Amino acid sequence: MSSAAMDAQKRPIRSGRPEVTSGLREALLRLRNADGGWGYYPGKASRLEPTCWALLALARQSGAPLDIGLLQKWPREGDWLVDVKGAPINFAFNALAARTLLQHPDGTALAAPIATQLVRTRGLRLEQATALRQDNSLQAWPWIDQTFSWVEPTAWCLLLLKGLQESHPKSIPGEAGDRIRIGERMLLDRACKTGGWNYGGSNVYGQELWAYVPTTALALLAMQDHKDDPTVVRSLQFLQKDTNTERSAPALALAVVCLRVFGVDVGPFEQDLMSNLDLSRAMGSTVALASSLYALSETRHGMAAFIL
Amino acid sequence: MPTRRAFLTAVGTAVVAGACRQNPPPFDVADFTLPARSLVGLFAATSYSIELADVIFRGFKELGVNVAGRRVFLKPNMVEYEPGTAINTHPHVVAGTAIACRRAGAAEVVVGEGPGHRRDIEYLLATTGLYDQLKDLGIKFVDLNHDDVRVVRLKSWFTGLSEMALPVELLRSDFVISLPKLKTHHWAGMTCSMKNLFGVVPGAVYGWPKNLLHMRGIPSSILDLTATIRPHLAVVDAITAMEGDGPIMGKPRALGFIAMGSDLPAVDATCARIIGLDPEKVPYLGPASHFLGNIAERRIEQRGELPSRYATQFDVVPSLQYLRLSQ
Repeated sequence: MSSAAMDAQKRPIRSGRPEVTSGLREALLRLRNADGGWGYYPGKASRLEPTCWALLALARQSGAPLDIGLLQKWPREGDWLVDVKGAPINFAFNALAARTLLQHPDGTALAAPIATQLVRTRGLRLEQATALRQDNSLQAWPWIDQTFSWVEPTAWCLLLLKGLQESHPKSIPGEAGDRIRIGERMLLDRACKTGGWNYGGSNVYGQELWAYVPTTALALLAMQDHKDDPTVVRSLQFLQKDTNTERSAPALALAVVCLRVFGVDVGPFEQDLMSNLDLSRAMGSTVALASSLYALSETRHGMAAFIL
Repeated sequence: MPTRRAFLTAVGTAVVAGACRQNPPPFDVADFTLPARSLVGLFAATSYSIELADVIFRGFKELGVNVAGRRVFLKPNMVEYEPGTAINTHPHVVAGTAIACRRAGAAEVVVGEGPGHRRDIEYLLATTGLYDQLKDLGIKFVDLNHDDVRVVRLKSWFTGLSEMALPVELLRSDFVISLPKLKTHHWAGMTCSMKNLFGVVPGAVYGWPKNLLHMRGIPSSILDLTATIRPHLAVVDAITAMEGDGPIMGKPRALGFIAMGSDLPAVDATCARIIGLDPEKVPYLGPASHFLGNIAERRIEQRGELPSRYATQFDVVPSLQYLRLSQ
């Protein structure tokens, strides 16, 4: 764990918004499907991403151990967890699920095979294109097989593999270190000129593209062990400055999680988050509500799911 | 001398066009019947503050559009938000279409989109103003990136794919309206009613951007999506369009009309000509004319205003100069 992250753990967190967090908890419990999982929205089928976020948030808010029973029973195809039957395996959400499993002592047995598969997974290598200012030879992680590498799946895979490399180094193949380094290089290569990241393209036809708050937060979490890297420093500054301009619960929640991990005072952002929950509540967005609950809760578990 | 990208795009177009001449072609011929003639309406709309529902309702009547008793799905184009730009279908056009559908007796109207770059739909709904418009009208919005999906068999196979997961809220609708913003597009040539269908592909299954569609070829993907979804109507926001480095970084360009029609290739071809592009050269329109709809002027019957009233020449990125009508 980095020193900034350790400082963030020790620092008293200005949270304790009991009405808001208990309201979020109740909303999440109401959204739970009969099979025990969560869909993205009310009445929708259980999917990996909202289920993982809901499990992480409920455990953090209550301080109780994370319940991984559902993920242990989740439909599988080999070592992979299946998000949608008949659709391609989603590598980003498998990495999130494995990271979620690692929050429980019994979860490693299921997480390690997923991580092993992810070590062997890489995005397509494409020819260099003059229209795009990026290194197309860097094969990090794609969302699905036979596609190019993008920021979000790479960030989730880095969080998973870096965590496992520290906690259970023998549980993943030796080439994990090389894959991590490629993933880091890819993220640094795709950063926007302003600092921060979007989905994974920073410049097309000479035009600088805009960075987004949620993807920036996620990529920074994946790069938290390189806090002195100039791109990371610039991206952290972007996040602190631009979070105000993207006032939505999903953006603010991830920003709060990230800034806490980096040891930044999140008081004003928490306030913004609590003021911007209406649309998430109206839509019944599980990921938005769960990530908000995670961001606003204060328990002994800290930000464990996101700290390396 | 064409740039490498222009050359590759041209080759890609030739490959897609060649696929249409294969025997058998990459679609089931029995599933598609080209109309002898197609109606396309151009209706004057000088600004977003006029009664757009009236303009669109008039279009319904002139084109014989019947949505009575139908569950209508409106698919606008919502990609990014930046003040002062013309990236997205204007919320007033979405609202106007919804009101017109209700006036025409639609049983239900639903709006849905799955942006290809941003996952954060709440941010886009709030900043574009679409959420407020829909809330006022009591219309449901469906986040197509995160909806339940069903794996369906594709009705054409230009991509080489035989099936794709698509959102159930879209699939259970019985009248789909593609509601694009008219834009130049630095990869596809132009965004109009057919390219707009990229937004129905669920990001939570295929990722952001929807890279599977790029890897399988943008023109091929546009064809397969249009063939499979078969939208019943296009309503194009060309009140303020985008030229240059679209679909995001281009410049707003006032045109002042709404284009409508049930034959999507015919609507897109008409819009292409108006902005100075040759439909035959737009990589997906030529192949579309073999099975999805008409693009030849002689097969398109105009309603409302004549295209010549709006004809102009949009800026395009250098690699797409070859698409121009004059060349």
